Amino acid sequence: MALVIKGFQEKIFRLIPLFLLFYICISEFHTQFYYWKIFSFNLQMIIIYYWVLRDPDLIGYGFIFIAGLVNDVILSLPLGISALVYLLVSFVAAYVRNATVRSSLTTDWFTFVIAIFFGNITYYFLIKKYTQIQIEYVFIFYESLFTFILYPAFWGLFEIYKKFINIKTKK
Amino acid sequence: MATSRDDFGIAIRSALLQRGAKQKFSLFVLILLSIVIFVLDTIDLKPVKILRSAINDGVYRVSAITSSPIKASRATKDFFSEHFSVYKENEKLKAELEGFRKKNFNTLYLETENRSLQNIVEFKQKTKYNTVTSKIILDKNSPYLNSVVINKGSNAGILLGMPVLNKGNLIGRIVEVNYTSSRILLLNDLNSRIPVVISPNGSQAILSGSGESMPNLQYLPENFKIGENNLVFTSGKDGIFFSGISVGQAVSDAGTFKVKLFSDPNQINFVNVVLDKYSDLKGF
Repeated sequence: MALVIKGFQEKIFRLIPLFLLFYICISEFHTQFYYWKIFSFNLQMIIIYYWVLRDPDLIGYGFIFIAGLVNDVILSLPLGISALVYLLVSFVAAYVRNATVRSSLTTDWFTFVIAIFFGNITYYFLIKKYTQIQIEYVFIFYESLFTFILYPAFWGLFEIYKKFINIKTKK
Repeated sequence: MATSRDDFGIAIRSALLQRGAKQKFSLFVLILLSIVIFVLDTIDLKPVKILRSAINDGVYRVSAITSSPIKASRATKDFFSEHFSVYKENEKLKAELEGFRKKNFNTLYLETENRSLQNIVEFKQKTKYNTVTSKIILDKNSPYLNSVVINKGSNAGILLGMPVLNKGNLIGRIVEVNYTSSRILLLNDLNSRIPVVISPNGSQAILSGSGESMPNLQYLPENFKIGENNLVFTSGKDGIFFSGISVGQAVSDAGTFKVKLFSDPNQINFVNVVLDKYSDLKGF
């Protein structure tokens, strides 16, 4: 019985990053604070990039794809845009994982720029080319900037959580 | 040189095609699938539209449920901040009441005069639109759209483009209709453009969303100056909105003309969607 409960607990702990990703996509969780005019960031990108890079078994590509579709429905974007962007971010993370032997905060942080760049370029291009939605470039720039700036903070938090899961699993 | 190119190719190939122990799909397959879904959604096929509408309804409902803890925390915060500002507000209201009492005499006189003038021109006054009240179930900001989702859709007779009011003031228009839900594009969204008229001099302008809380006034006449009480109403020139719906008060902000909306789009829980078609009330 104790083993079953322990196994269940481990599963729950390992599901939390995925749950967080879905919760941010589907709920009213705000990361766009326009009353401060410029402060907004893309937490989904941070979660996807970190976990695909550091522990890909926790968030599957299939779930990232579904989270992207849900995000499109909630934000009223054409279906598939966010899914494609999230998968591109995952691709950059997977490439960095394969290409580097030892990753650190510095390498993760600077390679994250490539992920943000590719992700947001894809967003702009598809929205601009295939929809009537007008985009304020400044907002997108600030969002990219703050997503980049805040990455180390979330990296630290996720590292602590990753260690916590590993301790729980090893016990 | 050739080795590093090979390494690069191998890293890309394995990132795209390799599946981890717990990955069911490769990135390549899912990227292709996303592109296919995107293409199908943008070419506007009717079956895809129906499917999308059904997905929207389902996701919005789930979203409304999952957002309830966030809404509850927001409501608690509002409750406390309101409670602490009651005293201040009471003092302010007392002062305002005095002012209104004085103004009331003038208003009564003007009202009587207005009524008699209306009788002269046989003006049929119609003050109420046929509306449907609905609750906001999802309010999420994004850099792309500033919109909210309500819990009524085509089942309540809502159609694309219908104006949406809050306490009689315009807050936006319907841009997406599903069977049991609809999306409102708010006046402060970048994509929102509405022809308005500014009282008392009747200047025409376009109310254009800027992504911030106060939308801009564009295409104003030259040498336009803001007075103390410049109110903004819909002009109805687009042939979609009725004329005379109150919008807000014109203000000057750092050299640009903006509108302080009567209904703050971030503080709305219930809205009224005007069901009357423009042509029904054209005489009005």
